[in-house]
Order: sequence, then C-alpha cells, then structure tokens
Amino acid sequence: MAAFEAFLDDGGIVEVDDDMPAEYRQAVFAFIEMHANSELMGGLTERDWIPRTPGLRHKMSVLAKTQDEIGHGHLLYMVAADMQIKTREEMLEDLFAGKSRFHNVFHYQAVTWGDQVAIAFLVDAAALASQQAVFKNCSYGPYRRILKRIISEEGFHMRLGEDRMMRIAQGTDTQKEIFQGALDRWFWPALQLFGPDSKPDDVLLRWHIKSERNEVLRDKWVQKFVPMLQSYGFTVPAPDLSYDEEAGKWDVGPIDWEPLKRTLAQGGPDSARRINEAKDNWERTRWVRDAMDRAAAVPA
Amino acid sequence: MHTYEIFLKKDGRDEYRHAGALDAATDDLAMVMARESYIRRAEGDRLWLVRRDHVIVADPDLIAPNADKPHRHHDGSAVAARRKALRNEGASS
Ligand SMILES: [Fe+2]
Ligand SMILES: [Fe+2]
Repeated sequence: MAAFEAFLDDGGIVEVDDDMPAEYRQAVFAFIEMHANSELMGGLTERDWIPRTPGLRHKMSVLAKTQDEIGHGHLLYMVAADMQIKTREEMLEDLFAGKSRFHNVFHYQAVTWGDQVAIAFLVDAAALASQQAVFKNCSYGPYRRILKRIISEEGFHMRLGEDRMMRIAQGTDTQKEIFQGALDRWFWPALQLFGPDSKPDDVLLRWHIKSERNEVLRDKWVQKFVPMLQSYGFTVPAPDLSYDEEAGKWDVGPIDWEPLKRTLAQGGPDSARRINEAKDNWERTRWVRDAMDRAAAVPA
Repeated sequence: MHTYEIFLKKDGRDEYRHAGALDAATDDLAMVMARESYIRRAEGDRLWLVRRDHVIVADPDLIAPNADKPHRHHDGSAVAARRKALRNEGASS
C-alpha cells in the first residue's frame, strides 16, 4: 500500500486492468456507484417534468437535460461495472432494494416548476462543484475521463437554471412567490449535498479521488450562491445568516445534519416513492433490454 | 452486450483521442449511443468505435525492456559543455 500511495501522490493514474489494493478498488467503486445511482434517480425526476414544463423552448432543454442525466448514469454504471465488484444488474437491484445510496437531494419531491428551477440552479451547481473537485486530481483514469464529459453537461444545466431563475425574478409576484417557496425547500438539501466536514483520515482524499475537503467546497458554494440569490431579490432561508464585514464572508449558521442522515438511510420525505418509481420503470422497460440481449447474441 | 471503446477527433485537428466506452447490443446501436453520449454537442466530428474484445493488449513484460535502453538516448551534455565553455571564453576576452 505504501508504494501504491507513493505512486498516487506522484500523480499516478490507475487504469482498469492495473493492479490496485482491494481497499482502493472498493472505495473508488462505492463512490462511482453512488454517483451513478444519483444520475439515474435525478434523470428520472427530470423526465417527470418533461410534460409539465412550460413552453416549447424550456421543454426541449428539459428533454436534453434528461438525456444528459440518463447518459451520465449509463457511462458511470459501465465504469463501475468494469471494476468487477458488482455487475450493472447487481447495482440496480441493490438500488431498487434500498441497499445502496444516492445523493440526499434525490430523496425530496419537486413540487412545482419553481422546484425544478431551484434544482437546476442550486443542486446541479453543487453537484458540479463536487465533480470538478474530483476531476481536478482524480487518480482513477476511467472515472476521470467520464467526469470530463459530465462536467461540461452539468455546466449547461446550471446555466439553464440561472437563466430560468432570472426570468422568474423578472416575472409576476406569483412567480416570485413560487420560486421563493422552492428555494425554502431546496436551499438546505443543496448545501448538504457536500456532506458534513471531511474526516481527517478520509481515504478518498488520501487516494486522490477527492481533491478538496467537503467543508471547503460547501463554503465556496455558500459564498457564491447567497449573494447571487439575494441579487435576484430572493431571501436565503437561513435564520442565522450573517455577513462578516472584515472577512468578507457569509455564514449560514449551524447546519442540521439530521435530514441528510435520514436520506442516507432511505428515510427521506420522498425516498420510498422515488425508489419504487425507479423500480417500476426498470420493470416496464425490461422488454427493451431483452430485445437488446437477443440482438447482441446474433453473430455479426 | 458488448463494450465499445470510443475515439473522437475534431476534423483537421489533433489525433483521435480516447473518450471513454459504452455498452451496446450491436455495432449500429453502439454508433447511435456513441453519438448521443459522447458527441451530444459536437465534441468531435469523427468517431471510431472499437469493440473492447478486439483490442490486443500488450503484456507489460514485453514492453519493460525498452525502458532500459540508454544507448537509444543521448543528452548531448559533453557537446553542450564545450559550447558553453567556448561562449564563456568569448565573453571574457
Ligand atoms: Fe448529471
Ligand atoms: Fe445535471
């Protein structure tokens, strides 16, 4: 392990066929599996909004975003399956059985179109910031290459979110109220996406999967998004929000981590419905996979 | 299902570069999937797919000896030292 860690510290990149310590393989696999699950769960919610999206232009971008997210899931499941710990089917079975995790934000329900805007702006931005921090210095080559694609597409989602928010901010009082309600629901889950402070011995940091501590990324997000939301005329739903003039920094006050813990145990407000819905979707599309398998079995 | 490795290139620029891989049932479906997963926003205009089980992978032991062939390199240090010495002589006179 010491030699392997020295190799990683030196900027070494691990490829799928390389020898790697079992602990590294397991930790990287679990990280990618959770990322893949989150893309799939996020894509399915996005899909739910295609028929409900106002206006053709927005509808077409929601279609594009849905395809992006499902594509991210597809590519990440492939990278994860290549690590030969679980097959794609096993990962999906575990997801539907509630045995594996996906990001906290996909355990909540998107109630209005305002929620979708808040998600695209706040959640996609938080996901993008975490992914960029992984991409920066990721020691696992296949994951790093896929992240490059994902990051460019998440940037599109975030810009789409800000554009929609800007339109709402210029809209009617009802529209502003709807978005403020969405912000009240999504601000804290989006912030908690970064997770609690990184442990000092976090192996993902040590093995150059993550390049930045959770609390650092979370703080950067706060410094960027608090003033931005305010500039559009919205209220940040943090009762203890304060600004330190000297440091020039925003402080959102104490963070309640209980909601995050509940989502990680599949006990979030919308966890059960979302997991069942994903499972149903998997069953309903079985015929497509069966047809693919038959096509694959025909010699070229 | 087969796994395909994806290579992309921008017309008139660079070489084909490995972009990732995907799983698909047939070559035709793989082509469509590659277009919709890897060049969704014109990230390339040339596309190669190679089935992973067709890739012939070198044994590291076959390659290793070539890391130790000093006679295939020359750092030119003796010649550079002489040139430097000549330059210094010129500067001091
Ligand atoms: Fe995504
Ligand atoms: Fe996204």
